[in-house]
Amino acid sequence: MVYANSNALSHPDLGGAQAVKILISGGFGAGKTTMVSAISEIKPLRTEERLSQIGASVDDLTGVAGKTTTTVALDFGRITISPEVVLYLFGTPGQDRFWFMWKELSAGALGAVVLADTRRLTDCFGALDFFETRGIPFIVAVNCFDGAERYDEDEVRHALDIDSRVPVVFCDARQRSSSKQVLVRLLEYLMLAARAVTFGPPRLAGRPRAACLLRKSRDHLDTHVVARHG
Amino acid sequence: MKGAASFGDGDPGPLVRPFAVTRGRAGRDLHGLDILTLVMTARPEAEHAGLDREYREILRLCQHRALSIAEIAAHMDLLLAAVKVLVSDLIDNGYLIHRPPPAVMARPDINLLQAVLDGVRKL
Repeated sequence: MVYANSNALSHPDLGGAQAVKILISGGFGAGKTTMVSAISEIKPLRTEERLSQIGASVDDLTGVAGKTTTTVALDFGRITISPEVVLYLFGTPGQDRFWFMWKELSAGALGAVVLADTRRLTDCFGALDFFETRGIPFIVAVNCFDGAERYDEDEVRHALDIDSRVPVVFCDARQRSSSKQVLVRLLEYLMLAARAVTFGPPRLAGRPRAACLLRKSRDHLDTHVVARHG
Repeated sequence: MKGAASFGDGDPGPLVRPFAVTRGRAGRDLHGLDILTLVMTARPEAEHAGLDREYREILRLCQHRALSIAEIAAHMDLLLAAVKVLVSDLIDNGYLIHRPPPAVMARPDINLLQAVLDGVRKL
């Protein structure tokens, strides 16, 4: 977009202002909004987009009053990095029918945090697939819910079937310091990825992801296998 | 639903109003506006007087600082699509200056990543 640069030059008022974003994703109820709330400098904001925005342009909405319009809510927070740089944290809509919204959200994103809930691990498969197939770098943050079984990093990595270089961290999304640490790990990983000459191909898209999560019990270890569709 | 509380006689409701304020226009390629496009008011307040309420509100929000489209939409309780139309009008008429978010690059800007990392560490 040529006008972008010429605009910046002719209007020095915007200075070096830049807005960047990181996506906080995961299944419904995985703690996305909780994490955004924990670390945002402002109370998370909510905005809405029409579902009819899907991909195509809608030229004229005259007479829309008679139609039903469905909207999807987007929650986001803000962290002022410097006088020039503002970081926005967007919680991705947690339901499959809002996948279309992820496209605009992920365009230009620095990277993503995929929040995983070990009680419902398959819920984050959709997010993993989305970022892998589009080559958007992400880390996995296991949100340690009270009362949930604890697993170690290898168990989670194996269950999610992710690239061995993708960091897996454990967090409490309610805690500011813990959520901050997740962002630090993501950014360190992003820098590592950006510096690498070749970071390798993303996980082969379309390969079925099977979660074999060891379910700990008092008497025995039982292998719980769930297969992902599609 | 947002705006449900103010669903009174004079207000046709949260779904109709956004399209009413844009006079039915939406969805065109509006300066390539993105949810993270930053905008800032370029003209003094004295010149805003003749404008519609929503335009004046946007100019007030962005008077002293660059704000993203997403933040404007949240503050005004309007759909992103509606805010893009309004902001585009204001850009067309020289009331707002704007800057798109960093372009999608094959290789991310290391300096930018470092700045963000340093900023987050300082939290």
